[in-house]
Amino acid sequence: MVAVKIPTDLWEEDTEAVITTWLVGDGGTVSEGQLIAEIMVEKVQHEVRAPASGTIKISQQAEAVVAKGGEIGTIT
Amino acid sequence: MQPTRDQKVWMYENMVVSRFFEETIEQIYLEGKKPVFNMANGPIPGEMHLSNGQEPCAVGVCAHLTPEDTVTGTHRPHHIAIAKGVDLKRMTAEIFGKKTGLSGGRGGHMHIFDPAVNFACSGIIAQGMGPAVGAALSRQMQKKPGIAVAYIGEGAVNQGAFHEAMNLAAVWKLPFICVIEDNAWGISVSKKASTAVADNSVRAQAYGIPGYQVKGNDPYEVFRVAGECVARARRGDGPSLIEIETSRLAGHFMGDAEGYRPKGELDALRARDCIPAMKARMMAEDGMTQAENDAIVARARAKVDEAIEFGRQSPYAAPAEAMEKVFA
Amino acid sequence: MSTATATAVKPQQNERRVTIARAMAEAVAQEMRIDPRVFVMGEDIGQLGGVYGNTRGLIEEFGPERIRDTPISETAFMGAAVGAASDGMRPVVELMFVDFFGVCFDAIYNLMAKNIYFSGGNVKVPVVLMTSTGGGYSDGGQHSQCLYATFAHLPGMKVVCPSNAYDAKGLMVSAIRDDSPVIYMYHKGLQGMGWLGTEPGATVHVPEETYMIPFGKAAIVREGTDVTIVGVGMGVHNGLKAADKLAAQGVSAEVIDLRTLVPLDRDTIFNSVKKTGRLIVVDEDYQSYGLTGEIIATIAERDVSVLKASPQRVAYPDIPIPFARPMEQFALPNPDKIVDAFHAMKRA
Repeated sequence: MVAVKIPTDLWEEDTEAVITTWLVGDGGTVSEGQLIAEIMVEKVQHEVRAPASGTIKISQQAEAVVAKGGEIGTIT
Repeated sequence: MQPTRDQKVWMYENMVVSRFFEETIEQIYLEGKKPVFNMANGPIPGEMHLSNGQEPCAVGVCAHLTPEDTVTGTHRPHHIAIAKGVDLKRMTAEIFGKKTGLSGGRGGHMHIFDPAVNFACSGIIAQGMGPAVGAALSRQMQKKPGIAVAYIGEGAVNQGAFHEAMNLAAVWKLPFICVIEDNAWGISVSKKASTAVADNSVRAQAYGIPGYQVKGNDPYEVFRVAGECVARARRGDGPSLIEIETSRLAGHFMGDAEGYRPKGELDALRARDCIPAMKARMMAEDGMTQAENDAIVARARAKVDEAIEFGRQSPYAAPAEAMEKVFA
Repeated sequence: MSTATATAVKPQQNERRVTIARAMAEAVAQEMRIDPRVFVMGEDIGQLGGVYGNTRGLIEEFGPERIRDTPISETAFMGAAVGAASDGMRPVVELMFVDFFGVCFDAIYNLMAKNIYFSGGNVKVPVVLMTSTGGGYSDGGQHSQCLYATFAHLPGMKVVCPSNAYDAKGLMVSAIRDDSPVIYMYHKGLQGMGWLGTEPGATVHVPEETYMIPFGKAAIVREGTDVTIVGVGMGVHNGLKAADKLAAQGVSAEVIDLRTLVPLDRDTIFNSVKKTGRLIVVDEDYQSYGLTGEIIATIAERDVSVLKASPQRVAYPDIPIPFARPMEQFALPNPDKIVDAFHAMKRA
């Protein structure tokens, strides 16, 4: 099982991000490197990609506020 | 023409008021927008275009104007409105969308109208040109005193409205001045990428009128050049064109990540911020003491605080008042 | 599932959910890969990727020759789009806010819309004009309008308005391949830009491969028997939410997404109203002389006897759009107004 985490290198400050859109469905199959979610810090959008291939389980829904490094789902 | 000491103090104080105002609006704008930045939220929703850095364009020209002169501003209007003497309390209430605002909350920050001092603005690029030319025409036809000034950005010079209005003002010899605030960026597109000439003042030749470029965001130089143009307009000798190199210290609008700006550009602009520069100059050349500066700053702060408090505390109009004021 | 594509696409395990912004950019990119005549121009569509994200990634793939940031010169580049289109190119141009149409409307309605006709059909004008619409976020009266009917009223322009990403992609492909000018109106509140707030129902499964959605085919996005709710863009989502509320009251509402205003699928509207006997039209554009009146006229002209009650409209009142949030929200259509319209119809 691999955790899907908010990357720590997308923005400099310790500002929290919000998940604006999940681009995959809960329980769907994803492949490594696939774009799976959009997050936003202030007004800037960033992308989250799948860290591994497998079945995704979403733990933080759209509109959830997340910190850098925070877990938003898992891939098994 | 150089500003007198009193004029310098007036210019400096208005620049400080303007900067405090923008910095305060910036903080309030972000209320309710963290951590989720949704433009619709907070006490000041919608777009917000701040004028930090562009203050010399406002004060250097408006120092020559009286309330009877007409000024049209842009989508980035606060500094110009302040220098033109727009009622700051009611302007602030308008930016908050309150009933006590200049337009009762119908206009918002891009639509500041204060007929008491003949100020108006529009969110459509270059569309302050025609109305200002029209105000100049009206003064000429009514043989009333007063001139008109249209502020536009350097990007607006590529709009048809700019050319048509300039030609009209020139052919009818109207008491009109076009002031181009050249902050080098039209949202994300640089002046270089969008404009065929480096210096828009050369376009004045196309209308047979004087054109001036002011470099370095220098309020004294803006004052000097604007003084000549205003005198010319008041004499009845017709319009002129001024382009001022200025600095957009904030983004195009609040929340703009400005990924398009070359690295280091913003730091360089901040390093020659016009307000500390003017302060230093007045201390060196005009004998302004720290105490005098502190008094100016305190007055400016108090004026802004009073306006912000008024805006915050004022009530909203009843929602159904949206239906009113469509016709005169 | 109450998304607008419920009937068009079955939700699947391996959803490839896409925002309208991404769907538009994907469609343009796929067409650009197969057709060198397609290019994009407009303000801030290059490195910025469009203020509303709909050209994101294009300049990286296609470069500044085909993804052209323009000066703030709408008259020039709209006119240029007409000329380039008639000379063998297929321009996709962006008018950042539909409200800005005023500075370039001659190029749009006197040239783009009429040159095919003036030439007796001998000249083609394959332009796609994409433009953002809609308010609700306090952007004031020059940045919040919809103006759907303004474009739909004037002959010679096809007008499309997606309510979700699936339609957004298919309509864009159809628009680019069309030899006539197409006004592609996307609502900012559906775009998937978090900073504007986004209607979640607009972000749906979108197949990766290219597909077309034909113009003039409305979608019945929810079936019902008691009342027909017709809308476009954001109006569809308001209609779906109203249908949920009505269902809780035991009322079965059918919701129709027009998808294109020109051509207009009058048959689907008529057949639905024939079944339900009641019609509510939802529109974020101004009420008078607009879409709502046109839809109602369609029924009145064809067979007024299918109506069990006078039709209702939930549209923007005939006022410029106010800035202040309480006033703007008062004026905007919403699900509760649609529910109220239904009850007004029942009382009458």
